[in-house]
Amino acid sequence: MNVRSRAFRTRRLPLTAEPRPPAPRTRGAGGLFDLTGHTHAGRAQDSLAMDLSGYLIEQEPYYRPVGDEIALFEAAYAARMPMMLKGPTGCGKTRFVEYMAWRLRRPLITVACHEDMTASDLVGRFLLDANGTVWHDGPLTLAVRAGAICYLDEIVEARQDTTVVIHPLTDDRRVLPLEKRGEIIPAHPDFELVISYNPGYQSVLKDLKESTKQRFGAIEFTYPAASVEAEIVAHEAGIDRTEAERLVAIAERSRRLRGHGLDEGASTRTLIYAGRLIARGVGLEAACQVALVLPITDDPDIRDALTAAVAASVPG
Amino acid sequence: MSEHAAAPFRDSLAGLLTEQPALGASFDLLWRQAERAVPAGARASWIGACRDIAQAGLGTACLIAYLRQAPGCASLLGVGPAIALANAAIRIGAVAGSGAALALMAASAKAARLLGSAEAFLDWLGAIERIATLAPDVPTVLLDHTETVLGHLGVRGLETWATSGIRAAGADAEKRRRFFALIDPSARSWLGRGVEDLHFNAVERRMQAYLAALWDCHPTLRAASGSALDLPRRTSFDGALIFVPETYRGVGGERAVALFRAALAHIAAHMRFTRARFPLGTLKPLQVAIVSALEDARVERLAIAEFPGLRPLWLQFHSAAPLGAVTAPGLIARLSRALLDETCHDGHVWVEKGRSLFAERAPGDHDAASIRRIGSLLGNDLGQMRVQFNPRAYVVEPLYRDDNRGIWDFGDASGSPESAPMQEAVRIEAEERGDGHAETSTAEPEPEAGRARALAAVEQEAGVEVARYPEWDYFISRERPDWATVLEYEPPLGRADLVPQIYVRHRGVVDRLSALIRAAKVSRPERLRRQPEGDRLDLEACIAAAVGRRHGEAPDPRVYITIARRGRDLTTLLLLDISQSTADRMHGVGATVLDLEREATALLAHAMEGLGDPFAIRAFCSNGRDEVRYYRVKDFDLPFGSRAQRHLAGLVPGFSTRLGIAIRHAGHELAARRSHRKLLLVVTDGEPSDIDIADRRYLVEDARKAVLGLAHAGIDTFCVGLDAGGDSYLARMFGRRNVLQMDRIERLPERLPTLYLKLTA
Repeated sequence: MNVRSRAFRTRRLPLTAEPRPPAPRTRGAGGLFDLTGHTHAGRAQDSLAMDLSGYLIEQEPYYRPVGDEIALFEAAYAARMPMMLKGPTGCGKTRFVEYMAWRLRRPLITVACHEDMTASDLVGRFLLDANGTVWHDGPLTLAVRAGAICYLDEIVEARQDTTVVIHPLTDDRRVLPLEKRGEIIPAHPDFELVISYNPGYQSVLKDLKESTKQRFGAIEFTYPAASVEAEIVAHEAGIDRTEAERLVAIAERSRRLRGHGLDEGASTRTLIYAGRLIARGVGLEAACQVALVLPITDDPDIRDALTAAVAASVPG
Repeated sequence: MSEHAAAPFRDSLAGLLTEQPALGASFDLLWRQAERAVPAGARASWIGACRDIAQAGLGTACLIAYLRQAPGCASLLGVGPAIALANAAIRIGAVAGSGAALALMAASAKAARLLGSAEAFLDWLGAIERIATLAPDVPTVLLDHTETVLGHLGVRGLETWATSGIRAAGADAEKRRRFFALIDPSARSWLGRGVEDLHFNAVERRMQAYLAALWDCHPTLRAASGSALDLPRRTSFDGALIFVPETYRGVGGERAVALFRAALAHIAAHMRFTRARFPLGTLKPLQVAIVSALEDARVERLAIAEFPGLRPLWLQFHSAAPLGAVTAPGLIARLSRALLDETCHDGHVWVEKGRSLFAERAPGDHDAASIRRIGSLLGNDLGQMRVQFNPRAYVVEPLYRDDNRGIWDFGDASGSPESAPMQEAVRIEAEERGDGHAETSTAEPEPEAGRARALAAVEQEAGVEVARYPEWDYFISRERPDWATVLEYEPPLGRADLVPQIYVRHRGVVDRLSALIRAAKVSRPERLRRQPEGDRLDLEACIAAAVGRRHGEAPDPRVYITIARRGRDLTTLLLLDISQSTADRMHGVGATVLDLEREATALLAHAMEGLGDPFAIRAFCSNGRDEVRYYRVKDFDLPFGSRAQRHLAGLVPGFSTRLGIAIRHAGHELAARRSHRKLLLVVTDGEPSDIDIADRRYLVEDARKAVLGLAHAGIDTFCVGLDAGGDSYLARMFGRRNVLQMDRIERLPERLPTLYLKLTA
């Protein structure tokens, strides 16, 4: 307890209640020499839940279950088992986490992983202020202390030496050592770690360490069956069912090119984008060109084939 | 036109012909023709041209030929071209003899008719003249086939085609004669290619993707070349193998892309919906054709139900209209259109009957049986109408349809006597196609698979044809497709101790290199101080910033340290020239150029291995365009172990240097690698040359084009030149900055690895 309260004294907390993106790096001029004069010592411990309220999801996100993934995730959460969501891009992994966070009424802290991310970006770092150095919690530490769901999106993008910081959190220890402060934070009982990764990118360079992989339970996501996908597209884009079915048929055609010139076929997300364009009066072919063909490939041959496949699917 | 104004001209013309008393009576006729074709104002210059010919020493036969032909040209195109004809004939006669000039006269009238404009005619004269300068024996033979050649190629194509022929034959006069007499099959095949026609190779990949996207089907596509003098080609399929005409003659640009797409979509529809082949049975050829058309329509309808957008794609090629004479092929084409396009009203009884029969098929009816029944009914009707049908000359219309061989089961040879011609025609075609295929078998659609197979084959055989590449002809500013053939070889195994000995001999260099490698090992983490962002504070910078603040200055915000790894993601292919000239011994060294190349390669391989960069070693030489030898010394994914070292030791010099093709093939290999940077390092000892190329500039320009092509594909090319005097051509090929000239070749082993480290730092 002592450890925790000391930590709170030096932590910069979100000061507004508005939802805002988790910002692991809030440096720059203001961050470096914080001259605003805020004193963190006075923060009461029970203000915690309020402070993370920005990360709470108020509205129910639309999510159409395709299997028993909700029940599985709930069971895993009850056991506080770290979870891994596998699947191609744009198939609903992030939406699923949002939905589950809403359902479980936990704040959700999302970190988009990238190549340059270091362990400090997750855990926290010392910053300078007017009187010296001040510790600033990273998003992972924040979630560990407050009992939020921490979602590390596209974890393989981060370097392997970065991802090992989650190891002590994901076995039965459930602690986060802050090496720089000589501090060990036991995880809040409600804390849950979720990672996502896209096996499609798999290359020798970008894969999870074996020791990381085996710390997670996994749920596999794929593009939903055609009728379900059409339902999702129709709902999200606000177009009618037949139009959505046509889009889904086109997407299936593009997915067949996977491994034959495309790394990934058109995702459900791109279909929704195309659908939204259609809902605003854009023609089917033009909408597919904008949302579906041009973004997914730079290869002129494949682009041409896709354009022709779209043309073949549109009544002439 | 008064009689006495014309008289002086007539007299002067007669004066030119005094040696030809035999002309006598026909002279009047010639004069009258000339008088009609040449207006009075231009008559003086026309007579001048006649006089020039008479004085050029080409013989009177030439003058008479001119007098006979020129009026025709003049009346079609005007006097200017007729006079230009005389001048061109004189110049061609001077280089190629009077026979060529005579042939030009004889061909001029046909050319004038075919080309139809003065400009094109002048271009034609210019082209023939240039061809005559290149190869004096060609025009006489070539001009005999003026109609065929011009009809297929037009003027622009003519010159490309002819220079191809001249280059292909090299110094072999007989081969040249066979080419231009259209006996050589490649001459006919290239004739069919046309200049503007779209070649299937250009769109093969996107068609493959198109089929995969629409139907999830992955057939093997083969471009089948055909002779231009045969029947027009159609696609054809057999199982999962599809033959596509290399070009559809006269169709270019976007329309050709649509045509290839329509043709392949049609075949894919067959593959999907034609469940079993039709047995031939006792059907007559005409019935076969009709059943085929009905089956085409059936599968297209089913495909359209799934992909409505295919209807406009196919419909644009249906042009059969109820006009002109009633022939069986015409009616079948009209029926095809009527079946696809409900809005089209044909009006012919037979076509309308076909349409209603087709529409009234009982839904539960077995498809193949009902199609066959309707087909034979319609065939009988057509037979009673006594319209002409020649199965040998029958070509399926419209263009995109296939020849329907894939949907028929011809059984064994003992078919019904009626069907024999059709069957025979089909068989002839199959044989031809077999030839055509052997001749132009294009690369396998999946390069990986192709390479793997080639690799396996290399092990057993001496050399395996792996690819054909185009070559750039600067003379016509155009690429000749599929011009040179690359054969891959596995080099013989040499002495196992040769490379280790090199390391012993150059111990000093190896040590220096190892030190350099340690320094250059850039995957080592690096600490960067005074960064605006970072993991930890740079205390010195913090103190400086704090001091600055106390002084009331604006502090430097760069107070962090970050640790960065500079990843190395580089793939290199080292391409060695092992042509005969590398067997030369160096003065004062006693080693051959190839020995030095080998030493340099061994040391460079040591450096690259130390850095962990993937690299391959290849060597090349050439023996004419049909035999560009490409030796795989070391592959990318294998270590530079004893086997690779023995291959390196086993290289022997020989043959010539067709650099451009080797560069293209190496580039093709590099392009398949996934790497941020790709480097092609060429070591060559002299100017590119080959036995079939006399023009020194040709291979230099081609290599330049190949290097530009690689740059386009994101591959850097760097050349180490071992010819101290090679400034001009090396810089021309690779660009001035991408060439290192070795003035003292014996230093190559030392310089090459350091150069590599510098290039890649």
